[in-house]
Amino acid sequence: MSNRTGTAYALTTFARVQRHREDELEDYLAALPRGSASPLARIGVLHLSRLHLVRELVFQGPNQRHRDLLRHGHLVFTATFNGEPGDFLENLRTSVPECDEWWGRCVGYPGRDDRGAFAAWVRSLQVDTSLFQSPIPTTTVEEVREVTALRERVIDFAVAAQGLDAASLQARFRESF
Amino acid sequence: MTEAGLAGRPVPRPRRVVTGGNTTGRMTALTLFTPIRAPWVRLLRAAFRVAPHLPIRTHIIQFNFIKFVRWTVVDSLDDEQLRYSYLFFESNFDGPWQHYIDAFAYVIPRDIRAVWGRGIDFPYPPPAEPLKAWIARNSLEGGTYYCAHEELSTRQIQSAIAVSEAFHVFEAEAATMSADQFAAAWEQFLSDQQAHL
Repeated sequence: MSNRTGTAYALTTFARVQRHREDELEDYLAALPRGSASPLARIGVLHLSRLHLVRELVFQGPNQRHRDLLRHGHLVFTATFNGEPGDFLENLRTSVPECDEWWGRCVGYPGRDDRGAFAAWVRSLQVDTSLFQSPIPTTTVEEVREVTALRERVIDFAVAAQGLDAASLQARFRESF
Repeated sequence: MTEAGLAGRPVPRPRRVVTGGNTTGRMTALTLFTPIRAPWVRLLRAAFRVAPHLPIRTHIIQFNFIKFVRWTVVDSLDDEQLRYSYLFFESNFDGPWQHYIDAFAYVIPRDIRAVWGRGIDFPYPPPAEPLKAWIARNSLEGGTYYCAHEELSTRQIQSAIAVSEAFHVFEAEAATMSADQFAAAWEQFLSDQQAHL
């Protein structure tokens, strides 16, 4: 199995939602803040994450001999991060109490009090990734921020330094970097 | 999802329609969860296992609009009796996925057909339009989506990495240069990195 590419790790989990709690869970997830206000933004190593429900399986048409009808809704949680899954889950447990809201509506959730129980439960939901690929497999979120900030500084410097003579250019560079 | 019928067997109930949930900033997530024909499950799993060691691994990540992409074969779900194994696919795009499907359909049609063609009624591309319709029908909506760099495209990140690497080399070499040497080297650096700035 291939949960990892470079230093990046792909976590994929499916949790069975408690009966009749699907609508409220769906509403809760839809109302979560986005961007830097997202609870997931508290995890510095996290590149991407998605939380959503699977409530039915799409019927592919008359050539599908059997129709799979789900008895339950299932909460899908995916995360892409750099580092070890154990560290990520501990970060999630301690920094994202909102876990109690989404997984608290799922069957068997042990809560966040017990580190080992929390990690073991989430890992029990994991389905190994079959293939995981990225053009930036070893680049961390922190590195993304550093290199993009540096690129901006280089552009700003290049614009500001236009027309300077050689000595002034060198002096300005040494001041700036 | 279903309610239990008279014999305890699930029967369909009206679908609750949810939309959105898969966008944040300029990013769009695409998640597909589609059945795999039984005879192909083992082969598909084996193909995924060897793919990272073959040139084919670079095919999909050649597109600079994807940051991370995953395929997961799912054989079972808790307390469900599935007749098929399912292929869970999750990717992300710099903008609406519809803008990029042409690239899949026309640049790597063999890869696309080899993976999703193991499913049922897959519209073998090209052309791209039936593929787009199939994706729209199977795209999982709703929920919430997070990206730490939601306003940066993959291309911007790759450019920033290239500039950063070149800059650190330049900076180290520039430390001992005369002013004239520095000015010439700076011009060369800008010229070399023009495509990334």
